[in-house]
Amino acid sequence: MSGEEKEIPKLQKCIAVLWPSFLTAGAATGLFFSAFDPYDLFPFGEDTGLSRLGIYTIGFFLFWALTAVSGIGTLYFAITNCLRYNTSRRQD
Amino acid sequence: MDVNKTNQAARPDSTADEQIEQSLYARQEKIYPREVHGLFARLRALGVLSLLGIFYGVPWLRWGGHQAILFDLPARKFHIFGLTLWPQDFIYLAFLLIIAGLTLFFVTALAGRIWCGYACPQTVWTEAFLWIERKVEGDRMKQRKLDAQPWNARKIRVKATKHALWILFSLWTGFTFVGYFTPIIELGQRLIVVNLGPWETFWIIFYGFATYGNAGWMREQVCKYMCPYARFQSAMFDRDTLIISYDQARGEPRGSRKRSADHHGLGLGDCIDCTMCVQVCPTGIDIRDGLQYECIACSACIDACDDVMDKMGYDRGLVRYTTETAMHGGKRHIIRPRIIVYALFLLTIMSIFAWSIAHRVVLELNVIRDRNSLYRETSDGLIENVYTLKVLNKDDAEHSYSLGVSGIPGLALKSDLKEIRVEPGGVLEVPVRLHADESELQSRSSQVVFTLVANDDQTLSVTENARFIGP
Repeated sequence: MSGEEKEIPKLQKCIAVLWPSFLTAGAATGLFFSAFDPYDLFPFGEDTGLSRLGIYTIGFFLFWALTAVSGIGTLYFAITNCLRYNTSRRQD
Repeated sequence: MDVNKTNQAARPDSTADEQIEQSLYARQEKIYPREVHGLFARLRALGVLSLLGIFYGVPWLRWGGHQAILFDLPARKFHIFGLTLWPQDFIYLAFLLIIAGLTLFFVTALAGRIWCGYACPQTVWTEAFLWIERKVEGDRMKQRKLDAQPWNARKIRVKATKHALWILFSLWTGFTFVGYFTPIIELGQRLIVVNLGPWETFWIIFYGFATYGNAGWMREQVCKYMCPYARFQSAMFDRDTLIISYDQARGEPRGSRKRSADHHGLGLGDCIDCTMCVQVCPTGIDIRDGLQYECIACSACIDACDDVMDKMGYDRGLVRYTTETAMHGGKRHIIRPRIIVYALFLLTIMSIFAWSIAHRVVLELNVIRDRNSLYRETSDGLIENVYTLKVLNKDDAEHSYSLGVSGIPGLALKSDLKEIRVEPGGVLEVPVRLHADESELQSRSSQVVFTLVANDDQTLSVTENARFIGP
């Protein structure tokens, strides 16, 4: 097994994970914060000391982290399944 | 159509595919697109300049005492000229996105990837960055020579100048971007006295960095590897879509010849194989290999080839805008079922959008019945129902409103609140009680209608239905 995984450079993998998740995180942030005012997210009035812009920003990066994790999962399964498929085909 | 190259490249079990894969994933060779002059280059410059002008200029426009276009995220309201949208109006933004998407489909079916070549931000900013690069480093040959030579004082100076200009331009871009979301004049004033908020600073740098990276470094790789549109555009293409194509029948067999030579006599086509079309290509492809998904339809190769054809004294248009049908001698069809369907969809959605914006009432009323008790009997023997009304003022001005209710004869409205006055964008909760005589109730559950009217503007009114529960 030569390992096709090795033929995909790290940078390509990073872009494949980070770029689509960036787009979906942007959409998710827009949807989420149009439904919820950042100041209403803390019903017991905790003073976070953050402006709305700050909470939007943190929200965006949390969404991005979340969507990126799902992207890593997709990439991992796509590569490992592809490897298994090719290995079994070569053995035939 | 060769747009599925990458998909095939994922199958590594044939030699040809392996080669494709290696060339795709090999270290990128830097592309030095040659500067091009001609009709389409002028059109593209016009497109780039007007779009950049719009982007950098629009945040500075004023309208009725505020920024004309301001997606005021900190204040949670969007100003679009005279229109103010609140988070509750998110549906309009969704509409706008659908319209933008459908327009892209429609334009693509009609005129191919005209978006990519003339209007895509990636193209627009890459053009601007290329222009700066040419001004600092010189033309294609000089850039190549500079990159090939070892580092010396001059090379460091030239490269530093280029990157400094790129970074300044990027930061200005980031500043303008943030200026769409927070009032730009105040942002500028705070920038001058170096008193920007941490989040604003972060976004200016983040967006600036993205611009610098995408337009300075990534360039055509964004189109090749990151753009989803490049991958699915073939679904919108048909044989009558406008594409840029090399006329193989006329050009082949290609080969160099003297200007005076009778090339037909020599058995040659019109292509002199000067590779100008390859040199000007910003994505580094050879248009003579046929339609490729890397092609962003910028038409630089058309200008370059026309220029060469003029010099050779041949007819223009060896590389030209055409359609697959026209290329094979067929008749052009502009009106086709696909075009009609897209156009109908687009018209319908746009009409609904325009109608709903025009008939938008800047007032919202929600009625929530008290969930704890169905009804209560008062000491006077009347039936009482309790509601909470939520009044949302979506106007730019403060209003006071009058509340009325109908549906049951003799229905009485009681509220402890003296006046319903709501600030712009504000929500007011109004607890109310309704009293009705049991003899007037037709059934266990009757419909009542709340009406809310602004005191200063009778046209500003909404109605909302609710249930009145009795014994």
